[in-house]
Amino acid sequence: MAGWRAALLGAAWLVGLAWDATAQPVLRVGMAAQDVGRLDPHFATSTIDRVVVGWMFNGLVRFAPGSADPATIEPDLAERWDSSADGKTWTFHLRRGVRFHGNYGELTAEDVAFSLKKAGTAASSAFSADFRSIGSVEAVDPYTVRIVLRENVPSLLGILTNYSGGYIVSKRAAEERGDGFTRAPIGTGPFALDRVTPSQSAELVAHAEYFREAPQIGRISYRFIPSDASRDLAFQNRELDLNYGRSDQTWVNRMRQQPGVTVDIFEPAELAILNLNITQPPFNDLRVRQALAHAVNRAELVRWRGTDVSREGQSLVPRGYLGFIEAGVLPHDPVRARALLAEAGHGSGLTVKVIHTQLPEMLNMMQVVQQQLRRAGITLDLQVVEHATFHQQIRQDLSPLVYYSAARFPVADIYLTQFWHGRSIVKTPTAVTNFSHCSQADAQIDAARVSTDREEQLKLWGEAQRILVQQVCGVPLVETLLVFARRDALDYGYPLRGSMSLGPPITERTRLR
Amino acid sequence: MLFFLARRLLAAVPTLLAVLTLVFVIVRIVPGDPALVILGDQATPDAAAALRAKLGTDRPLWDQYAGFMGRALTGDIGTSMVTGRPIAAEIAAVLPHTLDLTLAAMVFGILLGLPAGIWAALHRNRAIDVAARLLSLLGLSFPVFVSGIFLLLAFALHWRIFPVIGSADLADPLDRLHKLLLPAMTLGLVMAAYITRVTRSAMLQSLGEDFIRTARAKGVPHRRIVWVHGLRNASLPIVTVVGLYVGILLGNSVLTEIVFNRPGLGKLIVGALNQRDYTMLQGLMVIYCVLIVAVNTATDLLYGVLDPRVRAA
Repeated sequence: MAGWRAALLGAAWLVGLAWDATAQPVLRVGMAAQDVGRLDPHFATSTIDRVVVGWMFNGLVRFAPGSADPATIEPDLAERWDSSADGKTWTFHLRRGVRFHGNYGELTAEDVAFSLKKAGTAASSAFSADFRSIGSVEAVDPYTVRIVLRENVPSLLGILTNYSGGYIVSKRAAEERGDGFTRAPIGTGPFALDRVTPSQSAELVAHAEYFREAPQIGRISYRFIPSDASRDLAFQNRELDLNYGRSDQTWVNRMRQQPGVTVDIFEPAELAILNLNITQPPFNDLRVRQALAHAVNRAELVRWRGTDVSREGQSLVPRGYLGFIEAGVLPHDPVRARALLAEAGHGSGLTVKVIHTQLPEMLNMMQVVQQQLRRAGITLDLQVVEHATFHQQIRQDLSPLVYYSAARFPVADIYLTQFWHGRSIVKTPTAVTNFSHCSQADAQIDAARVSTDREEQLKLWGEAQRILVQQVCGVPLVETLLVFARRDALDYGYPLRGSMSLGPPITERTRLR
Repeated sequence: MLFFLARRLLAAVPTLLAVLTLVFVIVRIVPGDPALVILGDQATPDAAAALRAKLGTDRPLWDQYAGFMGRALTGDIGTSMVTGRPIAAEIAAVLPHTLDLTLAAMVFGILLGLPAGIWAALHRNRAIDVAARLLSLLGLSFPVFVSGIFLLLAFALHWRIFPVIGSADLADPLDRLHKLLLPAMTLGLVMAAYITRVTRSAMLQSLGEDFIRTARAKGVPHRRIVWVHGLRNASLPIVTVVGLYVGILLGNSVLTEIVFNRPGLGKLIVGALNQRDYTMLQGLMVIYCVLIVAVNTATDLLYGVLDPRVRAA
């Protein structure tokens, strides 16, 4: 048996040698970026990094290519798995013959255990919080991994997908390269990093020994083109096959007019919310919060941004996430808004100083909201600062109203915990992004997280959303989808409806016709 | 001359030290936490604290300053906080692109601006002069990101002579030149406009001097009066503008690099600023400072060559 395996591996190696990536087509991708940041997948937090990391790594399980729906999760590096009756012990059986990039050999359970421990450690991962429920990870044998949970989690498979901390890295490469791993990462994905030219491009080469099959595309040239105008011109001039797009109807329409171009609009949507600090004046008064909610006109915001690329927010969790409900957000009613303001002692109007980013997409949206609120007598005095400063200052609790737009793993628990749980309130030791200081739904969020009864879990998540919306901890605005334009010659090999890596997955089936 | 050179180089040392200190302070005055930028918005305070400790941004400022100066004085500018790549290697990879662009723009600016300025001065208040002044005003009025897009629309999209993406293969001289022409033209147009105006005004002043009248009275040929007596005496303000403008070119190259998607110091510095990459910003500022000091020193030396009175002073 061992002899046969050695022969097969030898044959695969010879096929790999004979297979020449340079003879295959090159996919040219234009990205709105100055440069990539950290390519260690457990530190890949920006869109720019997430997109490229998605082409280089696998998880134990994966979203079906082109989907961001947890219902489509399917085997990836693990070919099957089973769990104990109490749902706390999970055993994953790995595929055999999965090869890492370069000469880093075959994937084993040691690599998986190392990767998951690394992803769960604050010093070596930006996503360690997602793994706090994992008690232990051990390699039972070279192809079996056992995970024991401290407490039940809503979706263990969700944490282990090809997303954020779920990516599996080569233990040997990570240990050998140390800090250098972040610029020379080794995974098992269909493409391997060849080189990064600063401010210019990241070049990837097909992984000939990819366990599914050798990719049909030989190389990917991932070009950093921060200027939207230049990137669009390069795409128009056929210097790019795939172009990062703007979530803007005018842009979409303009691209669609070009012959031989398809615009893909896909999930996950980012939900923009006005987070209101309920512990400080003026938003410590429910009537003021309700007035603000009534002043917002979501339909108008969608018309402004574009009906193809956005939709109205209907809860404090994005639509389509497991557990989402239409939570009964207050309708647009400027008359009622003025009446509520008068009732709260602000008959002559109200001015709120708000720290906001100068990032054009967010600033433009906020300026439209500013006009809507002004009609109801609420003046937003925008203090516009640079984006990194904005992030720092809102985390220092310096703004009573925070506009924040985000997408997360599509299960309600993550969004509810990070934005609306008392443990996540900013300026606390366990802070994440709770700017509203709301903790009224903590009991429901906590109970749902550990519940093993799916019906009860959904009910609790729904209840949490209703409480938060009634308390007007935040006002949902719009959900904005991701947009890419591609030449028709580029065939993904699957229908693109969603991608958790925030860019089109380039798989072994993707081809340039 | 050697003494003059030594004096100028010595004067550059305190300038460099002052700039290093200023850079260190400015970079840290800008609000924004590199750890938050790197870890993204889902990072826990634990993770942010761990990264701050690793990056050294949690250490007292004086300690960070001492480390920075110590390394800078030994020629070590460290590694990028964000990418972890050595800064010297990152800069070395893009510096040739920026130098190509700056030098080509400077040559373009001089070749276009100098004759235009002289010609305008020799035809004062005539159609040629008015045209030169109008065109130079246009050149100064158009920001690089507007003229760049216009040139791209014309030469890349309409006539398809040049590519939109201007990042060239440094090992291929033809490719390098091909992708350099359009950005250099864009950047050089503004410089040409400046040089035209300065040359015109310096030449007008020079040509109105007594020694020019004397030369004319002595029957010196017109060509010699213009190119030798007139231009040599007008050259000091022109050299000053060119020297100063190299600094502006380096600054303007940021926009040109972004519009034409060329790698370079400008793109690197914008990225470092957005990501609060302190070490990269410091390294880049040091390089900019060295380049500017070098250009200013070269300009001073050129003064000495053009006008021996400067050396004597």
